[in-house]
Amino acid sequence: MLIRQLSVFLENRQGKFAEIARLLGNNDINMKAFTVSESADFGIARIIVEREKIDSAYNLLKSHSYAVSIHQVNYLNSPNQPGAMAVAMEELCKAGVSIEYMYAFADDASHNSHLVIRTSNDELANQILSEL
Amino acid sequence: MIWNSKIECMSRDEMRILQGEKLRKIVAHAYQNSPFYKSRFDEHGVKPEDIHTIDDIVKLPFTTKQDLRDNYPFNMMAVPMSDIVRLHASSGTTGKPIVVGYTETDIENWTEGIARCFSAYGLDKNDMIQVSYGYGLFTGGLGAHYGVQKIGATVIPTGSGNTEKQLQLMQDFGSTAIACTPSYALYMTEEIRKRNIDMNNIKLKVGIFGAEPWTDNMRKELEEKLQIKAYDIYGLTEISGPGVGGECECQCGTHLWEDLFYPEIVDPETLQPVAPGEKGELVFTTLDKWGMPMIRYRTRDLTCLNYEKCACGRTAVRMSKIMGRSDDMMIIRGVNVFPSQVESILLEFPEYEPYFFIEVDRVNNTDTFVIQVEVKPEYYTDQINQLVKLRQRLASRIQSVIGIQPDIKIVEPNTIERSTGKAKRAIDHRKFE
Ligand SMILES: [Zn+2]
Repeated sequence: MLIRQLSVFLENRQGKFAEIARLLGNNDINMKAFTVSESADFGIARIIVEREKIDSAYNLLKSHSYAVSIHQVNYLNSPNQPGAMAVAMEELCKAGVSIEYMYAFADDASHNSHLVIRTSNDELANQILSEL
Repeated sequence: MIWNSKIECMSRDEMRILQGEKLRKIVAHAYQNSPFYKSRFDEHGVKPEDIHTIDDIVKLPFTTKQDLRDNYPFNMMAVPMSDIVRLHASSGTTGKPIVVGYTETDIENWTEGIARCFSAYGLDKNDMIQVSYGYGLFTGGLGAHYGVQKIGATVIPTGSGNTEKQLQLMQDFGSTAIACTPSYALYMTEEIRKRNIDMNNIKLKVGIFGAEPWTDNMRKELEEKLQIKAYDIYGLTEISGPGVGGECECQCGTHLWEDLFYPEIVDPETLQPVAPGEKGELVFTTLDKWGMPMIRYRTRDLTCLNYEKCACGRTAVRMSKIMGRSDDMMIIRGVNVFPSQVESILLEFPEYEPYFFIEVDRVNNTDTFVIQVEVKPEYYTDQINQLVKLRQRLASRIQSVIGIQPDIKIVEPNTIERSTGKAKRAIDHRKFE
């Protein structure tokens, strides 16, 4: 399914990510998952928060002058067993959908693995993944 | 050796008389033949008849780089274009370059200036001089080239770039002097080290360095690493090119060839002459340049002048190292850069905010050129590649307009100072004094 993800532009300076984590934490917003990718002098933090809090997280970051944006990404809840992910990737590949980036996170409550997948065509990817 | 001892060692009184005679002639020529100067003098209420001695120069109005731009390409010429034998141009600040035209006499006089410099560096017909300045519209290459031929030395016109070949020819031919920017010379020393070239194969004894500011530390380093004497050559396209002045063997100031290029120092705010020896803006009047005379041209270079006779025997006035600019131009890797150029390029990109901050430094003898910019909120994305590409597009555009590649640094929103007045848009960490 498609979910909404926050992206925050960060200069590569020590403590930048801690600042964001602290800001969200102080406002009772829990980061369910995140990843940071970086080039030589800047990075982009991608953050998943609880669905009902994403707009307040966005406004909070914005009001603190962060360069924040919201994008739709695919979310895949796949059984934690060998080969499960391979099937998903093969199907996307067959349909000509390429992966821009991807990250996984764990959740103690279930034994499934949770994947966030950003593709070249997220609508189509959503269709394919939901038919798996 | 002194190329033209009659002029270079002339008594100050005689020099002032000569300058006065030349000024009268060139002012009359400019007034009669250049519509630009005629209207400028008329507006200012001054006529050629008001000029009697060199002291009367203060009655004349100033000329600026903006005048050259406004009169692009040929409106400042004071001779028919059929008498112009060469054109040179320097890169424009915001679009238009400036163009300078030379008559045959102008080329001869310019070359005379360079010949005086080269002789002062101890070079003569027995030398083989590698000209590694760029050839073309830039005055460096051709200017130095003619100077080498004038003193009867051998010119090796390598031009800029292709360092490997330059170093090969330098060894094969046994170049005894090289003319280039000091930063390129430092780059060459690095290449010599990397390629394990035996210094015994390099016969250089003199380096002729100009077109950008350089320090005494750079001089020391170049002299040690290349086993040469490193001399300054000064000039600017508007006045003719390199060779407006040069150092002598004493290396205690740059002698200016003031029978050709008359220097004044003025307060950049009030435009009044400063007391002798005081620092201020250097202003030149070309006393023997007919194609496109420059009357009281404001160079924007800050320096001071010393009229005492030099230990080398020359009476020609000596200029201190350039101590800065009275405008915001910076010379980065030999290229003139104005913050206003960066601004106008930035405005072409809808993705960027119109704010920027330039940081210049010198690391390992190479100038660094960093421009901080902010991306507009709607153009931030979750994909790093898009920002990297956006950054690359801006860097390429700046490279193609200004001529050097900057490092673009995207910073977080609202980091760059916004100010309603005159924002400080650049900082130069390099030390030139
Ligand atoms: Zn001297």
